[in-house]
Amino acid sequence: MARLIKRQTVDRILFLGPATILLALFFLVPVVVDIGLAFTDMGRNLKVTGFTTENVQRMLGGDRRLTHVMLVTLTYVLCTLAIFNVGYGLLLALLTTALPDRAGAFFRAVWFLPRMSPSVVYALLWSWVIAPTDYGLLNQALAAFSLPLLDLKSNAPMLVVILANGFIGASFGMIIFTSAIRAIPQHLFHAARVDGAGGLSLIRHITLPAIRWQVSFVTIYQALSLLVSFEYIWLITNGGPFYDTTVYALYVYRRAFENGQYAYGAALALGLVVVGISVAMILWRFFDMRALLQKPRIEVG
Amino acid sequence: MQLAGEIARPAAQDWPRLVARARVRRRAVTIFLYAVLILGSLPIVVPYLWLFTVALSGRTGAGTTVLWLTLAILMPALVAALVLRIAFEDERRRRRFELALAAVTLIALAFVTGPYLHTDNFRFLWITDIANQLKGESGTGSRYPSVWTAFGNSLFIALTQMVLVVSVSTMAGYYLSRFDFAGRAGYLKGLLVLHAFPAMTLIIPIFLLTYWVGLLDTLTGVILVVVALELPFAIFVMKGFFDAVPWDIEMSGMVDGASRRQAFFMLILPQVKVGMLAIGVFAFLRGWEEYVFVRTLLFKNTNWTMSLYLFWMNEDVMGTDYAMVSAIGVFYVLPSVVLYTICQKYLTQMSIGGIKG
Repeated sequence: MARLIKRQTVDRILFLGPATILLALFFLVPVVVDIGLAFTDMGRNLKVTGFTTENVQRMLGGDRRLTHVMLVTLTYVLCTLAIFNVGYGLLLALLTTALPDRAGAFFRAVWFLPRMSPSVVYALLWSWVIAPTDYGLLNQALAAFSLPLLDLKSNAPMLVVILANGFIGASFGMIIFTSAIRAIPQHLFHAARVDGAGGLSLIRHITLPAIRWQVSFVTIYQALSLLVSFEYIWLITNGGPFYDTTVYALYVYRRAFENGQYAYGAALALGLVVVGISVAMILWRFFDMRALLQKPRIEVG
Repeated sequence: MQLAGEIARPAAQDWPRLVARARVRRRAVTIFLYAVLILGSLPIVVPYLWLFTVALSGRTGAGTTVLWLTLAILMPALVAALVLRIAFEDERRRRRFELALAAVTLIALAFVTGPYLHTDNFRFLWITDIANQLKGESGTGSRYPSVWTAFGNSLFIALTQMVLVVSVSTMAGYYLSRFDFAGRAGYLKGLLVLHAFPAMTLIIPIFLLTYWVGLLDTLTGVILVVVALELPFAIFVMKGFFDAVPWDIEMSGMVDGASRRQAFFMLILPQVKVGMLAIGVFAFLRGWEEYVFVRTLLFKNTNWTMSLYLFWMNEDVMGTDYAMVSAIGVFYVLPSVVLYTICQKYLTQMSIGGIKG
């Protein structure tokens, strides 16, 4: 019996140990460090000389730029989410599932292309397309119709950021909605057709109600990823001009790694950590908890 | 009887007309769908096509002549393919025409764009000091590493990371799927939170941790960080695959005298090969494409990955050869696209909750 128990302990350490250590080191410890760091005065030299609540006070009232950043973030997340991640993703899923399978798969593959390519390549393409000189692809196309040249990066940076992130975001919704639409029993559509329903009312009364669950999943999940990700904005506009496209997550990064205010960055990041954990809790509802936690059926040591 | 006949007869005369009308309607809807999708996809396709044409034909600048020529051939071909699809409902006859169309398009492309094509932009592959030569810094210590250094670093990160993610998550997934232990429910719930939790928010403390333990500016540090961030997702996928394997398989193996570990290695692992392949490919791509953590945690130019190499080649305005930058872009993007396309079948077998955002 003692040997059996010992064997079980060894097995647990062997199988679960590496994962637990890595997860603890890079998830739990950083959260604790971040909380601690928020109350220090760490600056560019990466040394802690004292503890202070200055960062939190500054975050809650003293940072005028933060209000602007919040507004930028709100605009960015809401527009991208509504227009592309949910809206355009749904449109793509509906259009491609209405086509024959092969043709639909082709268009979905095209829309998956931005997600397949490394972020640096994608960002590079964007900055070349919208380049303000007459070398930019957009400006060459405009020049062909003798329209005036555009400088989108300086004049409409928010539009660029929303489009660039939206083109990537649309594919996530597209994939999930497509598999949801495919799972709807065909006889429902046949029955509705017999009752005289046209294409649009099929979508309105059968497809949309059937994928309601997936729509809310995508909305919540993508709202969170838009809120915390800054990779493409960082690469394409670098948050500029000035702070015009600096979203909250990028603001955290710029404060810490550009201005060397690591402690203030950590305090700002706490806001994101809280939002992240809360949304993760909400997302629990979308998983089949009973199946997940079902007890294993054999228990031989 | 008389009455029924009177009603039925005019309806019967209407049938051909109704069929014809339905066919026209169906074709109109199909054309509309294709038109919307083709126009809607142009903003994605054209920039990528541009990248490829510039890489193969550009001379120092990112010219667009070849792009317009290619489009001038491809767009009519696409319309023709669409017309074929509408005109022939018989699959086999259509296939013949489609093959002919594809052949004509390719020949036209070869003739029209052929004279412009050259491989000079890929010279960074064999002239490894090209970046320093172009930027005129060859005399004063080289700032740019060879592209093969960056390629090797990216490959090393991607492969090591892949091996670690697959082995660690397979073992953890198996244990969580098969063994009951005190705190199992809590462990799984915690894992679920981590799975949805955005790790990007922890970049400042992660940076400091690697600095404190001396892993800053080492490939090992980046690998460990990225592995840990991939784990919650990978463990869930693997647990799902193990859950789907009937426990009778292990049971019968153990009745025949296998130990628990033997049963795991010899009976169960072969059943979840697809899952291991899927998360392996995913982890590889994640490592190959990584940018934010690489940029934050690595500084030395001998530690540059492909993403950093491409970024700095494009960023430094002095003496930038945009045609060569696009060639580097193609060189960097091709492995990703090829791997995605080949492994699409396996990648789509992962559960919905696992698709990355």
